[in-house]
Amino acid sequence: MSLQSSFIQIFISHIKREFLINFRSLVDVTSITSFMILIVTLFVLGIGPFEEKLRLISNGIFWIGLILAIIPSLEKTLQRDYENGWLDQAITSPTPMELVLLSKSLAYWLIVIIPLLISLPLFIILLNINLKLIPWLLISILVGGLSISLIGIIGSALTLGAKRGNILLPILIIPLIIPISIFGIGISEAVRINETPLDNLFLLIGFTLIYMVISPFISAFLIRIAISR
Amino acid sequence: MFYLKDVTIKRGLKTVFYNWSAKIENSKVTIISGKNGVGKSTLLRAIAGMIPIEKGIVKNNNNEIFKDQIKWGQNLIYIDSKNGLSKDLTVLENLKTWSEMRGWKTSNDDIQKALDSVEMLNHKNLYISQCSEGLKKRAALSRLYLSLLFNVEFWLLDEPTNELDQKSVILFNKLIQRFLENKGTVLLVCHELKLFDFNYELLNLDLLKK
Repeated sequence: MSLQSSFIQIFISHIKREFLINFRSLVDVTSITSFMILIVTLFVLGIGPFEEKLRLISNGIFWIGLILAIIPSLEKTLQRDYENGWLDQAITSPTPMELVLLSKSLAYWLIVIIPLLISLPLFIILLNINLKLIPWLLISILVGGLSISLIGIIGSALTLGAKRGNILLPILIIPLIIPISIFGIGISEAVRINETPLDNLFLLIGFTLIYMVISPFISAFLIRIAISR
Repeated sequence: MFYLKDVTIKRGLKTVFYNWSAKIENSKVTIISGKNGVGKSTLLRAIAGMIPIEKGIVKNNNNEIFKDQIKWGQNLIYIDSKNGLSKDLTVLENLKTWSEMRGWKTSNDDIQKALDSVEMLNHKNLYISQCSEGLKKRAALSRLYLSLLFNVEFWLLDEPTNELDQKSVILFNKLIQRFLENKGTVLLVCHELKLFDFNYELLNLDLLKK
């Protein structure tokens, strides 16, 4: 038996570690979803009791809520491990940093998406979302969420060690998230007006795949710079 | 033989080492000493591969170490004052996830023995956030025992004895003795030389850098 685990095993063990850390304090996990519920509620209250108006913009509200709720937590994904020296350990280990980061962003995606899926019925009621939209909404947040977490890792690596990282980070990554949100909203929007949502979906998947390839390399490069300072 | 030849190391914009050379004996303990700010930690971090070496060669037994980062990563353990312990995990979980990160397949028995080697077995279920600095350092040093099982050749330790009490220093000495028996090389940054009961070479940066 080889004493060296394969990359897949290392990958899975990383995801397990992130889950251990994040699910230890449930505040971390539930804060994103509860923040999103609050944002959506504020929007709905702001619009007032006009069902017709809400139906037109509910997709947009959902996506804005998702993006705004995710951003504050992004900084923490790498900052914690940077401060306690875990990234130093990862970089001086035989495991490639890119693998560590890919597993980190996948774990982050799961950690965001699981509570969100559980609370999806609440959003459907709050935003009065049509039943035929639900499967497409589900697909769009699954794929879009993965993109956002891959982009988020880049932003988080970029602001490592920066003093005002929590302000800098949204400014840096929201422009990158814009295409994701356009195609994400486009999917449900196309279904709403009885057109095919597949064009938008394929574009969204394409973007996600591109980010999946480049994000670990860019963020590993950035982390090496941050650590060498 | 491990040597650095004409290396230039920068930290940010500051040049810490310029065309600097040094030799380090394999299978021995080398203690890097010097006054604060002379570049002891920078040198150690550069050898560990965290700070890029701008110019010059670093060779271990005639192999350039940074040619193959992954192989060099397998060969070294680096521990500094940051410890690399996640405060939301217990001592045991930290050691386990660390060895998994390196891709090592360790049995529970090995992990228990590693914790026992620094007498952390009674504290294994403590969260790192509950540990004192000394306990954290001991939890970090438990990795050294694991590395004995996996043919690691280099230990790069940045002030490992700072927070340790007398008894833990004895345990640390024992770990080093065992590593030397395995033909391991230790690079140590430390100010208190009288703590150690093994033979060591001294690399005094004050004298060597002029």
